Amino acid sequence: MLWLAAHFPMLGLETQCRAARAEADGGPAVLVEDARVVQANAQARQAGIAIGSTLATAHSIAAQLAYWPRAPEAERQRLAFLGLAGYRYTSRVSLAPPAGLLLEARGSVRLFGGLAALTAQVAAGFQSLGHAANLAAAQTPLASLALARAGLDGLPGDAAAALRQAPLASTDLPAKVLERLADMGIQRLGQLLELPTPELGMRFEPLLVDYLDRLTGRKGDPRQAIEPPERFVSSRHLAEPISSKDALLPPMRRLAAELARWLAIRRFGAGMLRWTFKPLAGTALDMDIRLADASADDRSFLALSQLKLDAAELPAEVMSLVLRADLVTPAEPITGDLLGRRDERAPARVQLADLLTAKLGEDAVRRLQAVDDHRPEAAWSAATLVSAGSRTKAAVGRASRTREPVPRTRPLWLVDPPQPVHAKHFEVLSGPERIATGWWDAPVARDYFIAVAGTGAQCWLYRDHDGAWYLHGYFA
Amino acid sequence: MASVEHLLGALAGRLDSRLWRGREFAQRLPRTGGIATGFPALDAELFDHGWPRAGLTELLLNAHGIGELRLLAPALAALSAAEPRWIAWIDPPFVPYAPALEAAGVDLAKVLLIRPRQRLEAPWAMEQALKTGACSAVLGWLAEPRLRFTEVRRLLLAARQGRTWASLLRPATAAGGASAAELRLLLRPSSGDRLRVDVVKRRGSWPLTGLELHLDETSAARRRAAVREQLSRWRQRCRPRRSDRAVPA
Repeated sequence: MLWLAAHFPMLGLETQCRAARAEADGGPAVLVEDARVVQANAQARQAGIAIGSTLATAHSIAAQLAYWPRAPEAERQRLAFLGLAGYRYTSRVSLAPPAGLLLEARGSVRLFGGLAALTAQVAAGFQSLGHAANLAAAQTPLASLALARAGLDGLPGDAAAALRQAPLASTDLPAKVLERLADMGIQRLGQLLELPTPELGMRFEPLLVDYLDRLTGRKGDPRQAIEPPERFVSSRHLAEPISSKDALLPPMRRLAAELARWLAIRRFGAGMLRWTFKPLAGTALDMDIRLADASADDRSFLALSQLKLDAAELPAEVMSLVLRADLVTPAEPITGDLLGRRDERAPARVQLADLLTAKLGEDAVRRLQAVDDHRPEAAWSAATLVSAGSRTKAAVGRASRTREPVPRTRPLWLVDPPQPVHAKHFEVLSGPERIATGWWDAPVARDYFIAVAGTGAQCWLYRDHDGAWYLHGYFA
Repeated sequence: MASVEHLLGALAGRLDSRLWRGREFAQRLPRTGGIATGFPALDAELFDHGWPRAGLTELLLNAHGIGELRLLAPALAALSAAEPRWIAWIDPPFVPYAPALEAAGVDLAKVLLIRPRQRLEAPWAMEQALKTGACSAVLGWLAEPRLRFTEVRRLLLAARQGRTWASLLRPATAAGGASAAELRLLLRPSSGDRLRVDVVKRRGSWPLTGLELHLDETSAARRRAAVREQLSRWRQRCRPRRSDRAVPA
């Protein structure tokens, strides 16, 4: 096995920065726990703020210091999200709380062209999500984690030597054990590993031996791989209430991009999005965006959302927004036709359908279908696009294959509903054709005629059983 | 007229390159290859020998249902078979009847029916359908009194951008006004299944009046083709049985 561990030294600070504002604006920022600095960004460290110093000291060093309390729950969520992001590089990702991830890398090394290339890509991937990561590879999960926490390089270099250099603080051992070891003058893993195991077992609880066994691979260390959820939910709390639609766009863009990444990892598309705009008080507004075909393109998500937003009645002051999407397998890839030509325009077709649906409403854009029914008005239907595009396509194909041939005497224009007319305005050319059917549903008993109207148009007329005449179509 | 032609011929022979004639100019214009209308008599009169593949056509007619769809149907059928793109119908006055369209050879899977709730949205929808290049053909019935020259011009530009054949169906009263469309046909019903077509405007040549098209020419030919296809299908179904018998022999 080959494990690539990722440690996020600034996870807490980065999470809080992200939740509070768009991007860190470059000023010194620290994370505070029990009134002491636990994490500090580069600017803060440069200014001389040490980890462990009190908030008052830090303030006295940098006046315009931004600081946040630790939010363990938000950190946990963010780590879970990063775990899903790691899913892009391997199918087995495990969380190593509080700030670590384990990626099983053996299968991916060849795919990404070597361990070094994989490591570089993973680091760049996390960087693009706004998180600095220390990465290290080793033969066991615990070894790779210890190296990553210590900021040391593992494989393909000499991981064993590097591990010996790792301080004990970067291990998973409880603080009590670490204290006792420190009292014995043992600071680094190398020193600990040199001690005979039976002696250690006698002096310390079995936990330490167990840890060392798993660290060195003498004992197996199975890890629970995360399972990607089927649903995307991400929210963004705004620093100050927003009442203009333009101001909502940047946070919406970020959420849409997050969704696109989430979908790309899974090689899936979303068929429907739901934005929820929550005001400080009062009811939230839900805005649904339906897509004709599953998509993973954040630009089209945003363009459609913007169209819909133009028409929406927003709450006066939006405090937070939530984006939800269900995971959908993308519609069957459009395959080439018999001659092997590829359907290159498919994305444009889908884009157009989405654009029109978003602006005009779902009912305004439809696809025609022929239906096997003898009643002329029941022999067609117009389905909206959103009812799973691919399914409709299949249904149409099936219907057209099994249906009997249409008689020639069917008009290209259907007047729907039929329009009552006077027979005297028409000159009958041919007929009648008796259509009597539909007794199970809406019975029809009509005599159809082809006639010419005064305008010269050839019309499709019928006389119902009462003798009343109706115009039902034009042979246009 | 004949003497003018004669004179021009004589002049052209003598002056050679110095005499500039519009017709020759038209002949030198690039012809992108239009969409065959299915009516050879009409094709012969059109610049691209068919409907413009990337441009705007206007069909001017006094009443709906006089044969405008049968005029368009062969080209729509050919496009729907050849291209994966949509064929969009923007706010048609009636329902395009699916069984009849299918019988005319149009692939229904490509047909997109767009009915804006407000008529004012129809020009926008048509422009989008043209501009995105997602449609091989777009047929539009727009609210006439509000349709201005500039709007028609926008549609023409959008059609060129998206390489789409746009057709605007307008009342015959619009024939008097100027239009940016590159091809304008005035349609009038004639006796029987005939349609009288006046070419009000076309590229590369003068207007033309009195073209008579027999609308069922194409459908009759297609019906013959359908019968032949059905026959061949039956034959194919019979063939395996015959071969089964052939194997033991």
